[in-house]
Amino acid sequence: MTKQVELLEMLERTENQRAARRSFIRLCGGAAAMTGGLALLSACDDDDDDDVTPAPTPTPTPTSDAQDIAVLSFALQLEYLEGNYYTYAVTGGGIPAALQTGAGTQGAVIPGSGNGAARAVTFGDPVIAQYAREIAADELAHITFLRTALGAAAPAQPTINLSGSAAVTTPGGQAVGAFTAAARAAGVIGPNDIFDPFLNDQNFLIGSYLLTDVGVSAYRGSARLITNKTFLEASAGILATECYHDGVIRSALYSRGLTVPSIFTDIQRISDARDGLDGPADTDQGIGTAGNANLVPTDGNGLVLGRTAPQVLNVVYQNATPGTTAGGFFPAGVNGSIRATVANT
Amino acid sequence: MTDSRELIAALDRRVERRDERREFFRAAFGMGALAVGGATLGFAKRADAQTATITDADIFNFALNLEYLEAQFYAYAATGNGLAANLLTGTGTQGAVTGGQKANLTDPVVIQYAREIAADEVAHVAFLRSQLTTSAVAQPAINIAGDATGAFTAAARAAGVVGTTDVFNPYADDNSFLLGAYLFEDVGVTAYKGAAPLITSNAFLDASAGILAAEAFHAGIIRGALYARGVATPALRVNADRISDARDALDGVTGANSGDLDQGISSVTTPLTSSLGATSAPASNFVPTDANGITFSRTPQQVLNIVYLNRAAATMGGFFPNGVNGTIRASVA
Repeated sequence: MTKQVELLEMLERTENQRAARRSFIRLCGGAAAMTGGLALLSACDDDDDDDVTPAPTPTPTPTSDAQDIAVLSFALQLEYLEGNYYTYAVTGGGIPAALQTGAGTQGAVIPGSGNGAARAVTFGDPVIAQYAREIAADELAHITFLRTALGAAAPAQPTINLSGSAAVTTPGGQAVGAFTAAARAAGVIGPNDIFDPFLNDQNFLIGSYLLTDVGVSAYRGSARLITNKTFLEASAGILATECYHDGVIRSALYSRGLTVPSIFTDIQRISDARDGLDGPADTDQGIGTAGNANLVPTDGNGLVLGRTAPQVLNVVYQNATPGTTAGGFFPAGVNGSIRATVANT
Repeated sequence: MTDSRELIAALDRRVERRDERREFFRAAFGMGALAVGGATLGFAKRADAQTATITDADIFNFALNLEYLEAQFYAYAATGNGLAANLLTGTGTQGAVTGGQKANLTDPVVIQYAREIAADEVAHVAFLRSQLTTSAVAQPAINIAGDATGAFTAAARAAGVVGTTDVFNPYADDNSFLLGAYLFEDVGVTAYKGAAPLITSNAFLDASAGILAAEAFHAGIIRGALYARGVATPALRVNADRISDARDALDGVTGANSGDLDQGISSVTTPLTSSLGATSAPASNFVPTDANGITFSRTPQQVLNIVYLNRAAATMGGFFPNGVNGTIRASVA
């Protein structure tokens, strides 16, 4: 599109030293993988909710646009992951059974056992506990909303490795708990150590950072792909909510870093690891240092960084290889038409 | 479907809301932007509303006015200096900043917030200007004074944060700065979200999503900080709630796109149903959302109601004593 070319040129002109490290290619490309279509028919209309008053939950009318279905279905897969994480942390259980059904292959949450098992966090700071509860409620609301918006096309919850345990049994065989696998790969812990995101406030926040940052980048990256304007607005609102969450999580980590400096290096390592998985473009940032906070992951124009859906899959599958269809947090892959990583250039 | 009629009705309501949002845009336009031939202002038929020429540039220029305001506030608070002169020029009437000073911040965390948010907002100004090139509007006159003449004081008095003859100085200390920042942050999020479906260019939409996201990060940081500090200083939560109520009163209580578009930060009883059953306990409210976990939208006119500090139809006031520049400049009652 002409305007995209113009924008790219403009961006190139205005790139400063910080932006030079970032790729804006995604502004004009990277969408090709999103055009696959689900042939599933949903109901009649193609419009849905807005969100003017908080009281009544609107009844979204399912979309029938193939690309919107693909994008929203992918978002729902990530919401299943986030929803289960926060719901476990707050209540000790996953999302309700009624929210797990749908198209594709339904899977269970793998909590693991022993150290690192998914369970309720015993929060030390009541403010963190209240943050966690609020986030859990928002994520459950997102799951419900997206399922309603997708109607019959809504994909089921896939198998989710929600564990930090040393060994869990997945449909593909024995594996390491996904949180521990991510922490080991990032060098946050040693190759034989356990990362238990449910152990305490600090670990919970790091686990949140692992997931929520990715959710933000996914919604951020897909906004331009949604054709239905009502869904676009709703998606923008979910993006905003995820950013509020992430802002609070990152600033809570920053504040704790002032007394526990290892947090800064651990977060940077996780960020670097994610960045290494999803290709050469800089799509990720840590929270900075004590003297130079970086609470908002932005490019040189103050725009929050985004990922394409396949880049997101690189991160959650914990695998940089193109064509990967399962792994990491999703040991049996995700449901929906967007399910494979692609080569990142 | 048995409830298809209900669905259609709901759909109609939503389409109507979006049309009215467009209508609001059109109504707020300068007369020149209206189609020739006696097109009527006010609530024309939907078909007419659809013909209004709202360009992406109009929307981005409206956003640029807001970014000028935010950037000047944060830049002054963080550094004692405002935007560079070469970031202020453009179409319309260029104005000066009244007030603005380095905030007396002592908590190193709050100092970091101010520094980083200021940098982001300045970047947004530069970005939007570079995107709009020669059509970029100039900075309008901005009142961010911390004294009795300041728009902050007017807003704080109206909200009941201070007494009717008291002064609210957002540069006075950490907590005052956070409350001053809170006054703006959610408004920016609702403005960008409300504009998202009106943007036609995919590239502009993508950029807008990136700015929306940054504003939501800022708002989350500010609201989270107020909530956490509210444990020791409960008045912070109370005052944040009052500011929310004031914004909600300013942006209208009637009409299709009104209702509760704002929420304070105080703890709320939050039910949560997991696979183990239902529980209920207090949670924070650092994200202002509807029942779907989705943030709110405001029309530009509702945003102008807030920054003009005027619930009626107005073209200037509050933080913009001479109004904003660009085609979208009037609030509606």
